[in-house]
Amino acid sequence: MIASIDYVEVGVAFCLVAAALACLFDRHLKRASSLFLLFALLMSLSWWLFDAPGLALAELVLGLTLTGGSFFYALNAFPATAEKVPHYDRSLHRWSHKVVRAVLALAWSVMIGGAIWFLLPDMAYSPTEHPLIIAAVVIVATAMGAFALHRHMLRRLMAFNVLGSGVFLLLAGMAGTMPGSQALISVGLTIAWLGTLLGVLLIRQLVSLEGLLALESDSDATGHAQ
Amino acid sequence: MIWRFGLYESTFEPQWYSHWALLAILVLPIFIGLLGAFFTPRRLFPVALACLPILLAGALLIVDYLQVGLLRWQWDIAGVELSLRFNGLSGLMLMITQWVGTAAAMYTPGHLQLTNPGKHARWLWPLMGVLISALSLIWLAVDLLTLYAALELMGLAAVGMLLLSGKPDALKAGMRYLLLALVGSLAYLLGVALLLGYWGELDLKSLVEVVEPSPVSWVAAALIGAGLALKAALFPLHGWLTPVHENAWTPVSALHAALVIKASLFMLIMLWGILLPDALFAPRLVAWLGMLAIVWGGLIAWRAESLKTLVASSTVGQLGYLMVAFPLLLGSAVSPLPGALAWEGFWLQLMGHSLAKAAMFMAVGNLIIATGESSIKGLAGTSRRLPLSLLIFGIASVTLMGLPPSAGFTAKWLLLQAMVMTQQWVAVAALLIGTLLTAAYVFRVFRYSFDETAPRHQYQPLAPGMDLIALCLALAAFALGLLAHLPLALLQGGGA
Repeated sequence: MIASIDYVEVGVAFCLVAAALACLFDRHLKRASSLFLLFALLMSLSWWLFDAPGLALAELVLGLTLTGGSFFYALNAFPATAEKVPHYDRSLHRWSHKVVRAVLALAWSVMIGGAIWFLLPDMAYSPTEHPLIIAAVVIVATAMGAFALHRHMLRRLMAFNVLGSGVFLLLAGMAGTMPGSQALISVGLTIAWLGTLLGVLLIRQLVSLEGLLALESDSDATGHAQ
Repeated sequence: MIWRFGLYESTFEPQWYSHWALLAILVLPIFIGLLGAFFTPRRLFPVALACLPILLAGALLIVDYLQVGLLRWQWDIAGVELSLRFNGLSGLMLMITQWVGTAAAMYTPGHLQLTNPGKHARWLWPLMGVLISALSLIWLAVDLLTLYAALELMGLAAVGMLLLSGKPDALKAGMRYLLLALVGSLAYLLGVALLLGYWGELDLKSLVEVVEPSPVSWVAAALIGAGLALKAALFPLHGWLTPVHENAWTPVSALHAALVIKASLFMLIMLWGILLPDALFAPRLVAWLGMLAIVWGGLIAWRAESLKTLVASSTVGQLGYLMVAFPLLLGSAVSPLPGALAWEGFWLQLMGHSLAKAAMFMAVGNLIIATGESSIKGLAGTSRRLPLSLLIFGIASVTLMGLPPSAGFTAKWLLLQAMVMTQQWVAVAALLIGTLLTAAYVFRVFRYSFDETAPRHQYQPLAPGMDLIALCLALAAFALGLLAHLPLALLQGGGA
């Protein structure tokens, strides 16, 4: 089989991965939120490429406007006193912490990748056939690792959203855009927005009660739960 | 699994009133919850009156099920098939949900009056309504889409309720719970994506016909299992449970421990039954983790300093009993008799634990309100002044310990019989150790309460009914053991 490369799709897939990585690992929170908006825009574009204009619209409204807006709503509550400090996640992690998280995320993504390999056998012959699926696997793996790694609540919330988008892309890539999978993705987008909104309200409340340090002190018990 | 979960065509159409009853159990809780936000009830009777139509609708559905057998509903909305079914098991779970929900709702006005939590408290009512509706939907739904939506709705409502107390610790615990619950449901969604991609079915009845063992079904089962186990606080993933209960309001804790974590467990056993019909390894792994959970949860509860930690850790241990039964419920290698015994024991244990744990949280909540202290040591001298609350705690713990004639005893007896028949001696040992540990932490509470050296004179009097509701729940757990044949008959009706 000769691989036919669709340059638009490859380009979008590449940009998606780049935006996701930048959003996940940028310590500057405002910039990361802006990158999330870019990521949502690219997601909307890839729904268009999947021939699902309904989902593209849902992504624009739910993902870009409402979820992205929620992040800025959270950032607005941070006190603007000491210039850059509030908008910057300065927490440091030990090496053992990082390595364990990376190994766990890698193990999960190998498992998922194996299942997809089994599910879409033609990927073994021409991996460039489904650039968006490959992008989705990379995004899911990194976002999972980032979710387990970060301690700052806002960054974890963002990692959850990126992870969710990766899962939706995988779903559309594997199951196509039949009504069933479109309904699942729409429910998922709504839930992601509601969850983010709830998390953001909580962050605002926590900041007003205890200050910014409270957002980073979420340490030990979650480590066990991972 | 097909018979047990009612995944087959129904013989007769549901009767006309069943459609209305279905609408009532799914919509009325939300509607009444919204009314509650506007009129904030201050007494117990209006709440009881408002809950009555929901309870009646649930009873009507059971009456119809007894007459015509399995009830099924199916709708096609824009190419998406949604289906619901009502069998004996859904009926039992629905009843437990509605009655525990009613008890928690009736307990709430008194609790709010005494703790005086501020303006946000009114939002507890709609959230409670959404929670009950979502739970009812989970017991009835038989397609992966409805299950997903209901699971998420339930999770968000539960997080919302936990946050209402507004203390920083509650917010932190709530945030952790929110994030883990959301990621857990993404794992579930990824599993569903694999199933949908490979077999193209969302409806469980069609899925059960096409599914066959393959790497896709194993990975999907692993993803769904991991996501749901995280939400159900099964043993190594239980880290979020204690801090959440530590800071939540009493009726919220009661609802959460009694119902919310059970819903994820219910879905887990149903979906694994479909995806892993012949699996040996996965159920055994769960059973080994369950044995560790029984011992670990018991030890943590035994060492606990605060009352709520004790009750929450005991949930981890009690869920272990349910996990230990997994190899007997799944897998075709189990012979019919122990399989059936374990099936009955599993659900009886689940229902008994729901009732007893709700009663226990309320009893502990009453003790904390009355004494103003949340540590176990603060109970000194309560045996003389608050005998009723302690009695409720005692009756509830009889069920948890599994002493006759409670539901816990009947359930553990059934499970033990099944384990002895299949010669799982380690599981038998774990069950017995669990009973001893439960006795140890329960009697620790009583030891402090009979301590007369620190007599206290200031006790906050409780609102009317707070003790009575908890007592009714504890007695219901007790009676469920004596009258176990009634729920079991309903359960078997679905397997006939």
